Amino acid sequence: MIEFEKFKLENGLTVIFHKDPTTPLAIVNTLYDVGSRDESEDKTGFAHLFEHLMFGGSINISDFDAPLQMAGGESNAFTSNDITNYYNILPAVNLETALWLESDRMLSLAFTQKSLDVQKNVVIEEFKQRYLNQPYGEVWLKLSPLAYKVHPYKWPTIGKEIKHIEEATLADVKAFFYKYYIPSNAILCIAGNFELDFIKNVVNKYYGDIPSGIKPARILPAEPQQNEYREMTIDRNVPADAFYYAFKMPERRNEGYYMADLLSDLLGRDKSSRLYIALKKELQLCSEIGAYISGSHDEGLLVISGKLNSGISFEQLNDSLWKVLNDIQHQEITPEEMQRLKIKFKTTKEFQDEGILNRAMSLCHFELLGDANGINEENLIYEAITSQHLKEMATKILKPTNCSLLKVKAEQNA
Amino acid sequence: MLDRSTIPTVNKIEKIDLINPNQFEIAKFTKLFFMKEVPNETSRLELYFDAGTIVEEPALSSVLSGLLLSGTLKKSSIQINAEIDALGGFVDTGVTNEFAIVTIECLRENLLPILQIVQDAINNLAFIEKEVTELINNRKQKLRVNLEKVNFLAQRAFQERIFNNSSYSKITKESDFDSISIERLKLFFESNYLKGLIKVVLIGNFNQDQVDRVIDLTGAWSRNNSRIFEKEIKNLKGNTHIAKEGALQSAFRIGRILFNKTHEDYCDFMILNTVLGDYFGSRLMANIREDKGYTYGIRSMVGELSQTGYFLIAAEVGKEVKEATFIEIEKEFKKLQDELMDADELEMVKNYMLGQLLKSADGAYALTDLYLGVESYGLDLDFYNKLIESINSVTPERIKNLARQYLIWDDMTIVSVG
Repeated sequence: MIEFEKFKLENGLTVIFHKDPTTPLAIVNTLYDVGSRDESEDKTGFAHLFEHLMFGGSINISDFDAPLQMAGGESNAFTSNDITNYYNILPAVNLETALWLESDRMLSLAFTQKSLDVQKNVVIEEFKQRYLNQPYGEVWLKLSPLAYKVHPYKWPTIGKEIKHIEEATLADVKAFFYKYYIPSNAILCIAGNFELDFIKNVVNKYYGDIPSGIKPARILPAEPQQNEYREMTIDRNVPADAFYYAFKMPERRNEGYYMADLLSDLLGRDKSSRLYIALKKELQLCSEIGAYISGSHDEGLLVISGKLNSGISFEQLNDSLWKVLNDIQHQEITPEEMQRLKIKFKTTKEFQDEGILNRAMSLCHFELLGDANGINEENLIYEAITSQHLKEMATKILKPTNCSLLKVKAEQNA
Repeated sequence: MLDRSTIPTVNKIEKIDLINPNQFEIAKFTKLFFMKEVPNETSRLELYFDAGTIVEEPALSSVLSGLLLSGTLKKSSIQINAEIDALGGFVDTGVTNEFAIVTIECLRENLLPILQIVQDAINNLAFIEKEVTELINNRKQKLRVNLEKVNFLAQRAFQERIFNNSSYSKITKESDFDSISIERLKLFFESNYLKGLIKVVLIGNFNQDQVDRVIDLTGAWSRNNSRIFEKEIKNLKGNTHIAKEGALQSAFRIGRILFNKTHEDYCDFMILNTVLGDYFGSRLMANIREDKGYTYGIRSMVGELSQTGYFLIAAEVGKEVKEATFIEIEKEFKKLQDELMDADELEMVKNYMLGQLLKSADGAYALTDLYLGVESYGLDLDFYNKLIESINSVTPERIKNLARQYLIWDDMTIVSVG
């Protein structure tokens, strides 16, 4: 059981306090309810570029990192399709330094041209390093628009293309900040060995006078139901053929989300999973295979991916893979198999919640999904899933008309 | 109204609490380290074997490590993995240059049953031909994929040159996999696993009976001598570029052989290393990333080997700015050699390092790693008191002198790929 207290400031900022008496450290984690799905189609990659600019100085503090480092702390952030999350880890005795820094950049940024120019270059290098200059690095740049035709999940968080990042202006930066970086669009979690009264006081001191603003409404184009099988092949200079089957699955707040998650574990999480045993060990069709979910808030993806052994064709793999997917819909899933999936989930969660930073980030994330206490309810939700649920979910989503297949074909095999 | 222009007072970190794990002698050359103070249900067991990549050919060491759970005469690999998964276990096998490590992570209540499965799998490893062939083919494919990455190619070429002509400089070529036979694997397995256990690390809220049971299950693998690692290694100085067609970025490594924690200059050098490139506000990050925008990230670090160590700078930069980056790095070396550091900057580095140390000592897992980080070099936790003392007392003059002594551009091994 992870204990926490929750309160709200008048300006709309939600605050979660998680007391951990065992650590000399403090965590200050801030989640902003904005991600790449909130971008416009001609300015993609912006939420992530903006995250970089949050370290480029705020209205009263020219440098974010120097004072934090002076206080013995460090900081980082990440952006996803759905959220942007910033965290600071520092000695508990210096908690106020982090609050001073985080609250000032929530108040307003410095908005310097120099910071924008440099961070555009940094992000372009990141784009190359992680996506363009890696074998198979382009996969999500191709798979996202294959699986989504309307919803903004059709572009990845890094952006559609480098050009969009090059074209970002200071006016875009300001407009984005004033729209999304307001107290009512943020959730703050402080974790460490403190008392609630103290936390209330310091949070009020640093965040109380930030103007409230109006939480932006999110109206995204809904992805129409997929009723067709989609397939795309790209030829690349890579050593092995690779495959990515993406199936639409329920959104994060739907109970079906958890079933699809467990279904992906059944298919390809471990070395005892269905696909691993059938396609890798028994039929020796592929060198690696796995299944996972995108974890996104709106309708997401269950992905099966892997690489072919040399001499094996995409068609051979395809036939056998669909046979495994059909078997799940028509044969019993044994109680032992169900038990295995659940203990694996329980163990993973116990390790995830071991670290204080993870706990702080999860509390913010669950609060955004509706209630921070979700962190304590997950085990029960997974515990209640039956083999019948998994079969029904498999029948619902593991079908060709719900599938988008991306094949990366090795050029020398072409 | 809050005056936001005033920086909150920074409180100094006065002390850091460190705990020794309990030690048990399993055999003359084999120890178990046990850390009990875990406030939740997680647990971890690590087995260190004398079977790293310096001992045999890297390809063979790495394939053998991958085969450990590949089946016995009575159980297939599928059965072994299903049994481990049924207990919610995560078992990982891997090699570093000096060790082969088997790691089990699971809920505390399942550790002993999982260890029993792993122990049986290793004791009765059958070297089933189909499994060996499958793994070798997988490894070849993985190597071919890695050979497309500029970062991997740079690291490999660097390893050959910085550890020039030593047991640490060996790299894996695809043809190495073809010379692996079951006989060679067996021979290495029998000498370096079945008689090669160096240490066992156990973390979790276990009682003494359970610790004894771990010793019972693993003790028979204890080694009967200790390895003498290579000490005198000299890096091959000079600049090498390897062309990679179609690359959008160049990856590079710049470094030299240095020393490990046992050297008198180690602690102070770690401060110089932090100033130069080991934190977000470092000279290299400030210049190459935050001023020029040449890279997503650049860092320097000190790597340690049993008897020596090395210094290293690594980054991936835009292809067209590689030379400009090198010029800037050389300038940063010169600046550290010629100019005294600003007191504020040095104070920031000191405070940052103390904060990092506090973080490294947070919780049973971190504390155990901190301990193992000195135990490997024959030191004890007192090392960290010396480090704190160094951090508190180091002067700008000392930093400048260390830069003059160790950061000489012409002493460096430089490798770039792109």
